[in-house]
Amino acid sequence: MIGARPDRRRSGTIVHFGLGWLGLAILAAIWQLLALALHTPVFPTFTTSLVAAWHVVTSSTLTIDIIPSVERTALGFIISAIIGVAAGMVIGHYEVVQDWSSAVVDFMRSLPTPLLVPVAIVIFGVNGRMVVVTIISAAIWPILINTANGTSTIEPTMIDTAKTYGFRGRSLFLKIVLPAASPQIFAGLRVALSVSLAVMVVAEMLGGGSGIGYFIANAQQSFNIDGSYGGVIVLGCLGWIFNTLFLLFERRLLAWQRGTVGGLLDV
Amino acid sequence: MTQVQLEAGLGEESKEIPRNRNRPRRRKRARQVGGVVLALALWEVLSSTGAINKNALPTPAATLAAMASHLGALSSALASTLEAWALGMLAAGVGGIVVGTLVGRSKTADAATETIVRMMRPLPSLALIPIAILIAGLGIKMTFGLVSFAAFWPVFINTRVGVRQVDNLALETAKVLGLKRFSLLYRVILPSASPIIASGLQVAISLALVVTVSVELVGGTGGLGQFILSAQQGNETATMFAGIIVGGIIGWALSTGFARLVDRLIPWRTRGAGGTR
Repeated sequence: MIGARPDRRRSGTIVHFGLGWLGLAILAAIWQLLALALHTPVFPTFTTSLVAAWHVVTSSTLTIDIIPSVERTALGFIISAIIGVAAGMVIGHYEVVQDWSSAVVDFMRSLPTPLLVPVAIVIFGVNGRMVVVTIISAAIWPILINTANGTSTIEPTMIDTAKTYGFRGRSLFLKIVLPAASPQIFAGLRVALSVSLAVMVVAEMLGGGSGIGYFIANAQQSFNIDGSYGGVIVLGCLGWIFNTLFLLFERRLLAWQRGTVGGLLDV
Repeated sequence: MTQVQLEAGLGEESKEIPRNRNRPRRRKRARQVGGVVLALALWEVLSSTGAINKNALPTPAATLAAMASHLGALSSALASTLEAWALGMLAAGVGGIVVGTLVGRSKTADAATETIVRMMRPLPSLALIPIAILIAGLGIKMTFGLVSFAAFWPVFINTRVGVRQVDNLALETAKVLGLKRFSLLYRVILPSASPIIASGLQVAISLALVVTVSVELVGGTGGLGQFILSAQQGNETATMFAGIIVGGIIGWALSTGFARLVDRLIPWRTRGAGGTR
């Protein structure tokens, strides 16, 4: 399918870009008008929510809630990435390990992670560490599975060639397997990033003690309704920033395979 | 990077690894069972030796006993979770496919939704739980709304891309053969997009379950989430673990069941048709 799909969008990039923002503007306008028409306190207007979001980032909430959340998400994601990639390469490379682990991995991946938050609270208490551990317990699986999948689909000839050139053990994994599996690994990392953000929010709502999730839930419970809408907008922006940073990083690191692997980055 | 990346279904990837294909199936099964036994043994050792506080990690036997003694409460909690899940999933599946097809086949609508999709995708729907509670109160309506909202996106995103990627040659050929609008849709566009749509549904199925139990945990609206939360508050860790194990089994059954169904219904599905081709 490489190159089979006609790229009919390139011609109208500017029109396309403009339409994209127009779509967003229309959505915001609908929100505004709907809120004005309904006129209920539980559904503030778009502009009110934006102002509330501005208050969130300019008040002490920034250091009390937002920065801890960013730290927890980043830490949880990075630890998941390290463990997930390392374990995934081993699982994907050795068939025996894959067979032994596959049923357990399958179960853990299917477990709806928010159910683990109460357990994490029992073990770690209500704090940031609990949030980080919960993030890891969810984000590790997409990374591990994609890495294992990417590793086991490497051309056997490539591995054999590397072995005859003397790559063994760690050098085989780091210099041959890791780069060859990296497109798949990045696909997994991307999923894991969204998962990390989602789990961070839910864990903080249930018992983070602080953080953006705690802030949003707390604002709702104390009837600071504008505040909870503002918090959600801030969280949306955080998600967007995390995603954009990740894409830049991915594009930089995978620049070598642009054009060689069809459609992987652009699908 | 003008287009949004697909939601790749993870469920179907792990078993389609070419090197494994020729190996005896039975040995593989035996090893999988061995892995489960090993994991249970590790659990037993960790909890009975007290490596992890016994209050936090009950033994497998204690968990099983708790499961047996709370069978009634567990199954009614499970039924309520599954009901909310199924309703939300049904709305998300139908809505996502219909809207995705309409948007994907129109250049203007496609471009206009691009930024919305980009902004909505990273926003965790779980953050909307408090707002959903504000608007709809604590009830099935709120759960339904949130679950269907969250599960809508992966189905919509994949359908939109899937119907856009239909092979032009096939499309033109079908037109020459005289297929009109609706038969074109049913006979060419949707069948050719179905593997990608299936990947979107696969993601949505797990996501919907996550959102359902999260709502139950945060809002305390019954179901498996509340079962586990009240077990924690009552300091009954074994009961809590029983609920978690049931949640895992259900999650596994739903996603594996769907993957099997897809294998049967869409035999022309090619490996990796979840965006990484």
